Amino acid sequence: MADVVATHETIVVVGGGISGMTAAVEAAETGKNVILLERAPSLGGRVSQLYKYFPKLCHPTCGMEINLRRLRGHKRIKVLTQAEVSKIEGHAGDYKLSVTLHPRYVNDNCTACGECGQAVSAEIPNPFDYGLSRMKAAYLPSLMAYPQRYVIDPSILGTADAEKAKAACKYGAIDLDMKPETITLSAGAVVWATGWRPYDAAKIQPYGYDRFANVITSVEFERLSDPRGPTAGRVVRPSDGKEAKNVAFIQCAGSRDRNHLTHCSRICCMASLKQTTYMREHFGDEAQSTIYYIDIRAIDRFEDFYQKVQADPGVRFLKSKVANITEDEATGDVILHGVDTEGYHRYDNRHDLCVLAVGMEPSVDVRSIADVRVDASGFIELGPTDGGIFGAGCAANALDVNRSVQSATASVLRAVQVVNRVAKAEG
Amino acid sequence: MGDINRAMAEQYRNDFLKEVEANVEEGQWVKMCMQCGVCSGSCPLGPAWEHPPQEIFMMIRAGRRDEVLKSESMWMCTSCYNCIVRCPRELPITHIMHGLANYAHRLGLAPKMNPTRRFAKKFWNNLAKSGRVNEIELSVGLYFMDGFKTGIARAWAMKDIGIGMLKAKRLNPFGFLTHKGCKDKKGIHKMLKKAREIEDRRKGFTA
Amino acid sequence: MADMKIGAYVCQGCGLGERLDTKALALVAQKEGKAHVVREHEFLCNGQGVAMIQKDIDEGVNRVVIAACSRRAKTEAFGFEGVAISRVNLREQVIWAQPATDEARELTQEMAADYVRMGCAEAKKIVAPTPNAEHGTDKRVLVVGGGISGMTAALEAARAGYDVLLVEKTGVLGGYMAKLHKRVPHQEPFADPQATDIEGLVASVSQDPHITVYLNSTTTRTSGAPGRFSVDITTESGQTATENVGAIVMASGFTPYDATKLPELGYGKSRNVVDQAGLEDLARAAAAQGEPMRRPSDGKEIKSVVFVQCAGQRDATGTHLKYCSGHCCNTSMKQAMYFKEQNPSIDTAIIYTDLRTPGNGEDFYRSAQRKGVIFTKGTVASVDEDGSGSATVRFHDLILDDKTATMQGVDLVVLATGLVPNSGVNIDIPPDAADVDPAKASEHAVSVLNLTYRQGPDLPQLKYGFTDSHFICFPYETRRTGIYATGPVRRPMDITQAVEDATGAALKAIQAVENASLGRAAHPRSGDLSFPTFRREGCTQCKRCTVECPFGAIDEDEQRYPQFNESRCRRCGTCMGACPVRVISFENYSVDSVGSQIKAIDVPDEFSEKPRILLLACENDAYPALDMAGVAGHTSSAFIRTVPVRCLGSVNMIWITDALNSGYDGVMLMGCRHGDEYQCHFVKGSELASYRMSKIDDTLKNLNLEKDRVRALEVAIADIGKVPALINDYAAKIKEIGMSPFKGF
Repeated sequence: MADVVATHETIVVVGGGISGMTAAVEAAETGKNVILLERAPSLGGRVSQLYKYFPKLCHPTCGMEINLRRLRGHKRIKVLTQAEVSKIEGHAGDYKLSVTLHPRYVNDNCTACGECGQAVSAEIPNPFDYGLSRMKAAYLPSLMAYPQRYVIDPSILGTADAEKAKAACKYGAIDLDMKPETITLSAGAVVWATGWRPYDAAKIQPYGYDRFANVITSVEFERLSDPRGPTAGRVVRPSDGKEAKNVAFIQCAGSRDRNHLTHCSRICCMASLKQTTYMREHFGDEAQSTIYYIDIRAIDRFEDFYQKVQADPGVRFLKSKVANITEDEATGDVILHGVDTEGYHRYDNRHDLCVLAVGMEPSVDVRSIADVRVDASGFIELGPTDGGIFGAGCAANALDVNRSVQSATASVLRAVQVVNRVAKAEG
Repeated sequence: MGDINRAMAEQYRNDFLKEVEANVEEGQWVKMCMQCGVCSGSCPLGPAWEHPPQEIFMMIRAGRRDEVLKSESMWMCTSCYNCIVRCPRELPITHIMHGLANYAHRLGLAPKMNPTRRFAKKFWNNLAKSGRVNEIELSVGLYFMDGFKTGIARAWAMKDIGIGMLKAKRLNPFGFLTHKGCKDKKGIHKMLKKAREIEDRRKGFTA
Repeated sequence: MADMKIGAYVCQGCGLGERLDTKALALVAQKEGKAHVVREHEFLCNGQGVAMIQKDIDEGVNRVVIAACSRRAKTEAFGFEGVAISRVNLREQVIWAQPATDEARELTQEMAADYVRMGCAEAKKIVAPTPNAEHGTDKRVLVVGGGISGMTAALEAARAGYDVLLVEKTGVLGGYMAKLHKRVPHQEPFADPQATDIEGLVASVSQDPHITVYLNSTTTRTSGAPGRFSVDITTESGQTATENVGAIVMASGFTPYDATKLPELGYGKSRNVVDQAGLEDLARAAAAQGEPMRRPSDGKEIKSVVFVQCAGQRDATGTHLKYCSGHCCNTSMKQAMYFKEQNPSIDTAIIYTDLRTPGNGEDFYRSAQRKGVIFTKGTVASVDEDGSGSATVRFHDLILDDKTATMQGVDLVVLATGLVPNSGVNIDIPPDAADVDPAKASEHAVSVLNLTYRQGPDLPQLKYGFTDSHFICFPYETRRTGIYATGPVRRPMDITQAVEDATGAALKAIQAVENASLGRAAHPRSGDLSFPTFRREGCTQCKRCTVECPFGAIDEDEQRYPQFNESRCRRCGTCMGACPVRVISFENYSVDSVGSQIKAIDVPDEFSEKPRILLLACENDAYPALDMAGVAGHTSSAFIRTVPVRCLGSVNMIWITDALNSGYDGVMLMGCRHGDEYQCHFVKGSELASYRMSKIDDTLKNLNLEKDRVRALEVAIADIGKVPALINDYAAKIKEIGMSPFKGF
């Protein structure tokens, strides 16, 4: 990786999701040199796994196309994928990042022609679909993948499949001898945009995510609704493939809960409201969605969207934190038990499928890597003014896409302030 | 007793929540409820509740003093702790329910014929007498608390279990005669009296 | 300029060599495309292939035709500098879009040959753009508004080393925040109201050597473009200073919603009913005197306070504000804490329908409960004061389902009324419009910026008076390049968010001045150096370009010709599409460059049973969808010939008539959704295209052609499976209505 040039005036962006990509292009377009590090083999992050965005119900790939175009041709941006930061040392204006580069086993020659994928027979769970589908062990992470290069999964190394992949490639792009390497990068400032991960739903014992096939998470529901997803966009139950026309959405699955995440994850109300529109899109008047909530947090301008969903006769709202879920073993139906607190009505409601609107937690515990201040939930707080590591997007707070982009843009200015100071000092 | 009730009602005019906070075990937690209802849904005795815990908390905040204190609801609690485990605000709901029941009882507002209350009373008296529960006396007393006829019927209904317990030596049929109690009965009585004094003082029941 | 020298390169990799006769394609480039250098290569994007092209460029090739994969692939490898590049998409949209069968071979080859012809035709008509010479180089930033958003933007820009002019209408800095007793906490542990520290902030702004503050001043005239704005800053007394700046941050803030519109909630009837701003006044006045807060009507001690949330907000009936103002739940909790701090025994109740405290606000909510603030889910029907100063609040208790719940003996009622953005003039409402919907129009319709722009004096508003872009992915992009709205004028927000927002807006402003100084375009065609020019002698001064430009970039000069203001331009080409006399063009994108591609194809005769369908596809969404359809292995009709366009708004109707005249059997247009939930990256482009298309029927009638000869479709980038189906449907339709009668003319 000798071609990576980093100086005290370089801004390193850690994380290649919407926040990190935004930070990288905004900084580069302001005239700064940027290195963008992403742990996965392709940029895009969690938003690329969403079917649609609220409130416009447009597709994440639409904005991604623009961001990729801004990024692809930009001479000031260097992208390193499969790159993981293990340590940041130093101070504002002079950081050293230890970065491990995991092997892709595919080099720059790759044209994404797909021959290796066809040659390989081993299949692995597809992380893009949260494991709901399987894919070849030589794969392009997604149709929008950038870099547009295949990946060889390490699980087939040393097998005949790996050799088949290598033999299928006419361009000498497959290099099975790649080894992990650790590099050190200099940086004046760091934008930490490692995003969020869904709270582990299995920890919410009464909801039986680990026991009942037809209890899934909101992020999985996104994949089920997507025509490019594991079911080709058919909203069906994992247990038997039956169409799930009657779906329960449970809010605050893990959030606002002293037993789990104490913060409110902000996006989940809007996400579930949005997912009721998927139901209508798929099943029309037959769609039945029930939202079990404590407070509907369709904050500020999103109120519109809430009012629109409320007007849908196929959507019901119950102010209730569901007590527990049982499964009807004969039918696979899930039965939700609880109390509608508006006037005290008990219910035992049968649904085809239950979607847990799981909360957001920071995907990386940054404290073990860098000296930054975090709040009780692990989100990065804006530190004292002499620091040079800035949280952006969901690494800094539970944010929606719009606010993540805002946050990323703000963090770029903070980073620019640092590197401009360095530039001035260095003359 | 009525006097205490009047005194309390007077002292906390319009503010039942403050009264609960000051006088009910763990009462200071009531205000922390966010009305999600998970406790109400989690109670195994669910449908038996006229007012489930979350609603009781709201009623307390709304100042519905009589309705709450005269309610049978909190007497339903069997201390399974499901609600406490699930409460996203970590309210000690079980304790609050017992606290409310206890407070209502002390004020003389608890429903007189509530079976849980009567059992609790019987149990306590039985225990306090000798420092150790006399099981046969407690069981028989419980069966016959509504008269001889119902007592026979109840005992008959439980006969299989009774015989089983006899065989397993879990029930001493001569307990009426042979029950011994603990060694220092006087000491126990003294201790309980002192405890009562402390609690009364803490809860403001002493004149 | 040097003579045109076209180099055409045909790749044989990724199956192109097996599926196509690349030799024949090279011949097409040479014979028909008139390419001076033609080469085939087995693997064009590798180092060797790229070096081969670079060598030719070094030896004089100045137009490069790369017949390989999509322009969206291998961008870095083929990113040759200083030459015009035409990418011919033989991979994703030819061989991957056609079945790999022997039967399909002929049509696939025809398709590829046509695309090579089109690529060569384009290469002849484009040159590599050079930055325009007129760009401004002023790097100062103007911030309008001296509240927390404006001060933050100014300070943060200054910290990055940029000079800032800060204009504030009133005599003091601080804005609404200066009127607060305390602010909602923004740091761990999120438990208590925090000091605003507004004095410290004002002092930092006042003392910053990079910041010049203009108090009692407004911007009375703003002209120019990013990098060269000219702004008149006028004081109350009428003195005007003219300043030059490079970019503008508009932080004009908000006005609390007028609570007198809520008589049923007692406002205006009882002095003991206040709005949140009124409560802050009480708290600050009391704190200043070291006194407890007292009842406004009679100075009596306050023993109970009720907060009414969503007063005049979240109103679906349209009488009041339809939106949620976002901050009010936290604000009411904070204000309830004022009373708890004063005396914990003061009863404070908050009546709400949904408590909205996202993120760490949940900690603050718990803290308020711990302090004894009572929360009641309900809707308030009325607030009445009995004359003695104590009020009765009647509400529907939603938990206890008590429709006649009351709170009596309330000393003070606080209405959480929300905020109305100070957006200036709504330029979409004609100035003489008779009845303006009060809930929609800003009631402070005094211009903030006084832009001299042809399209109006302020930023276009999106909804409910907010200037937000409604772009989820690009929230800062207003429709006026180099002018960035921030704070609650953009969308409802609290202080913490406003600080974050203003910091981002300052970055965008800095970016705008840097880009303007290099003559580069801003989002979404960031870095694009091309810009529109027009042939003056052909212009009829019809003004369509000035009216239709989604970004208000085009003014009129003294002689009423369009004035393009390049650094305001986003390079979408909507002006080019609008121009009826086709005098507007870009160096690398013009009526001619696309028209030539359209006309370059080989049209088989009427009896061949091989129709030709032109597809004009938006390069941002439809074109990538077509690419990805290829990657995903979806095949579609081989009769389609696709030309990517910058935006459907750039489509000039002449392309359609030319296509039909030259023998195409049908024309498809694929653009983005328009309307309220528009997805057009140029905001109005697809909408304008659809408006223009609504008139295509007349053209077809004149040509004596069937209505179905043209079909316009809305397509999203994710319609990967749908796009091939749309093409096939249309191809079937064309088959049904038969071949065009215009073949061979």
